[in-house]
Amino acid sequence: MENRTTSPVGKSVPRVDARKKATGEAVYAFDLNMPGMLVGKMLRSPHPHAKILSIDTSKAQNLEGVAAVITAEDTFKIKFGSNEFFFPNTVDQMALESEKVRYIGDEIAAVAAVDEETAQKALSLISVKYEVLPAVFDAVSAMKPGAPQIHNAMNNIGVMMPVQFGDADKALKASDYIREDVFVLQSAAHCALESHVSLGRYEVSGGRVTLWTSTQAPFKVREALAKVLKMAETDIRVVKLDVGGGFGGKLEMFPMDFAACLLSKKSGGLPVKIYCTRHEEFSFTRRKHPMIYKLKSGVKRDGTLMAITGEVIADGGAYCSYGPTVIAAAIMRIFMVYKITNIRIMGFRVYTNNPICGAIRGFGGVQSGFAFESHMDMLARGIGMDPVEFRLKNATDPDMTTINKLILSSNGLKDCIKKAAEASGWKNKYAKAKDGSKNTVKGIGMAVAADVMGSKMYKAHESAGSIIKVEEDGSVYLFTGAADTGQGSDTAMAQIAAQELGIAYERVRVKAADTEITPFDTGSFASRVTFISGNATKNAAADAKRQILEVVACELKLEKDELDIRDEQVVKKQDGSVIISFDRAIQLCYSFNYGHLIIGRGSYNPKTTPIDFRTGEGNVSGSYGFEAQVAEVEVNKKTGQVKVLKMYDVHDIGYPINPASVHGQIEGSIIMGIGYTLYEDLKFSEGRVVNPSFSKYRIPRATDTIPIESIFIETNDPQGPFGAKGMGEASLLPTAAAIANAVYDAIGVQIKDLPITPQKVLKALKEKEAV
Amino acid sequence: MKNIKLKINNKTRELAVRDSELLIEMLRDRLGLLGTKYSCLEGDCGVCTVLLDGKNVLSCLILAADADGHEVTTIEGIAQKGVLHPLQESFVKNGAIQCGFCTPGMILAAKALLDKDPSPTDGEIASGLDGNLCRCTGYIKIIDAVRQASQRLKDGK
Repeated sequence: MENRTTSPVGKSVPRVDARKKATGEAVYAFDLNMPGMLVGKMLRSPHPHAKILSIDTSKAQNLEGVAAVITAEDTFKIKFGSNEFFFPNTVDQMALESEKVRYIGDEIAAVAAVDEETAQKALSLISVKYEVLPAVFDAVSAMKPGAPQIHNAMNNIGVMMPVQFGDADKALKASDYIREDVFVLQSAAHCALESHVSLGRYEVSGGRVTLWTSTQAPFKVREALAKVLKMAETDIRVVKLDVGGGFGGKLEMFPMDFAACLLSKKSGGLPVKIYCTRHEEFSFTRRKHPMIYKLKSGVKRDGTLMAITGEVIADGGAYCSYGPTVIAAAIMRIFMVYKITNIRIMGFRVYTNNPICGAIRGFGGVQSGFAFESHMDMLARGIGMDPVEFRLKNATDPDMTTINKLILSSNGLKDCIKKAAEASGWKNKYAKAKDGSKNTVKGIGMAVAADVMGSKMYKAHESAGSIIKVEEDGSVYLFTGAADTGQGSDTAMAQIAAQELGIAYERVRVKAADTEITPFDTGSFASRVTFISGNATKNAAADAKRQILEVVACELKLEKDELDIRDEQVVKKQDGSVIISFDRAIQLCYSFNYGHLIIGRGSYNPKTTPIDFRTGEGNVSGSYGFEAQVAEVEVNKKTGQVKVLKMYDVHDIGYPINPASVHGQIEGSIIMGIGYTLYEDLKFSEGRVVNPSFSKYRIPRATDTIPIESIFIETNDPQGPFGAKGMGEASLLPTAAAIANAVYDAIGVQIKDLPITPQKVLKALKEKEAV
Repeated sequence: MKNIKLKINNKTRELAVRDSELLIEMLRDRLGLLGTKYSCLEGDCGVCTVLLDGKNVLSCLILAADADGHEVTTIEGIAQKGVLHPLQESFVKNGAIQCGFCTPGMILAAKALLDKDPSPTDGEIASGLDGNLCRCTGYIKIIDAVRQASQRLKDGK
């Protein structure tokens, strides 16, 4: 074997899937074609809020080339939702609506036809009669008495969630400095370059369904599909292929997944592929929750954070999706970051007739990061304290249990803050006098964040499993339910398996995320995969290794506990002396005498306690990650343009399984974060997305990229596989606040309303001058 | 329908194409060259980039018929006898590939750039790739990969 990399954990080995992606051989869902395959299309509501009076599909049914047309009448009219286990009241969406539509894009019917043109024509032949209802497009109006009622929720409040500990009012009174701020955050789109694709095939003989779909969570899709199709989960196979990015947008069963399966059934088992155009992707999939944060907090003169109070109102759009988790992230992350004991925050997620909001990298953490970290900076400045000192004073510690019972075992937050200040030369740059004669001024700002790295929020269990087969030639197949959507989990799993087995990384081939073949895994979200699936894989590899060593010990009359496998050799643990090669050990396992097929299995269930959603108490995650970011900006006072010059990210990642992958996640997050901070803004008019294309919704381009200094703090988490924690989301959380705080340092105005556009900067400067 | 004759990945092909058929449709649907990715179809994202007479173009904006008499290179055409092109190798080694959906277009845009200018600055690399969106990497490792590949190509390795 060429290019053997033994002990691969901690090394930037090339990804297992990089070569096939570089040559164009990777297969994404849209690339899959099958004989007889039909084109499916969804019929969507043109109204933001309307009663459906009638649907007539007869003309479409009779059109030549149409294989099937489905409406709610072909379904069991069962509702589905993404947070069903903890929040059954938020299960509010049907695969196809029959009584009412609640946003422009609500799915009503679907067709399958021989080609795109026929499918499009069939859609136009479906006649739907509506009674248009009054609609509401912002959360605050939707909460008012007399607002149009979208579901049965009182005041359209779909999710109401408090956190409450200590006596916040008393602590505010005891504070030396109190300030109130309002922060406003816009909606945004995921913009995975591969849009949603569903390819369903019904097997007439067995009455079973296979769905190939671009998803981050095949097992969650299977669960929801089984529910709405009224089928056993095991009669449904969901297969993930290569996925062209997810960022939280591919975390659910979508009506098009359902439609592809049902249309195939109605078409006598012909496969049906449904593709989301970029316009549909922007308008009808999922988007970021716009939020309003009203915060009032107090500090002592010495910088002690005394109390935080406030209210968060999120526009959730027409259905709940991951609303509860998003609100939890929006109001509860603060406990991981600051030692706060007096706190009272209410989170509201409100139904409106806008498109559906859901999970997007960080859930509500990006919104929370901007609001809290801007607010904290202002509190620090209010008492004349350096924001770095303020954060160091109030930051959480290792091995602490927070007021809401989070157990922060490994915690490098303070080291992250110190290192970020040091690397960026904070002392020589922060709050320095500016040259008033110049149009451009530089500033520096910091923000910190923390995130769950192995949480349980969706099912009674969120265990993950892995199976390892060691073949006769010494190759290893790893079966994992973890869904690689580009973040690199297949590679991380291969590295973990090879490391534990003591063999070369190149031996491992990963087979992932096929609900019929691989063990269960909830999916790729909430930075959970490295920690949870990684532990499952490590356990499976340890099981396989144990079996190999038992054979070797038996054959050579040694004690198996004295043996280990390192660098492709079976060695004595004590002195590392080589006994036999790994290849020889495998030959022994598969020899006449032993005939032992090596099949290792492993699962992992993170140690958590359920959250009490009436207070916010409970150790939600098996591990927590931390970081500090520093932004250096240049603001042009004449044009209002903000330019980010450099970002520093110091991240407690536990231990990096693949440093290049970790840096890649951090860089990608920060550039995405700069886009959200400065210009990304999904805009609406009367419930309709007005910028549903890449030419109208700008995302960062190659020329927008900036230097990023990414530094790791290795805390070696005691529960993490080889000390690792997750880190897919955390780097996005502090970026906006770091930039906003740097803008303040440059020009003395705090922009509390994202995105930080030149117009807002100029307006704020004008207001400052007027004072 | 129109009969066209063109060179695709160094092979001469004669095809009958519909008048409205896009180059991306011809490449994917007729020839099975699925490395040319399909996304916005509006010329905004760059994932369907191919080389037309060595220049990077968007195959979703070009009619197949207009490629008549020209030379088209797709991602499948740049590795030689199973050996990856230095740009492909460099993308693999530098961690420049995450979800991979932008990768074929990105590598071809980079190839067009390096064929024209073997020693671009980082700024010139970024400008050359500006029409190719990537949501995963933040472009940093992509620019690193192109810079290293340019060095390797110049060194003749």
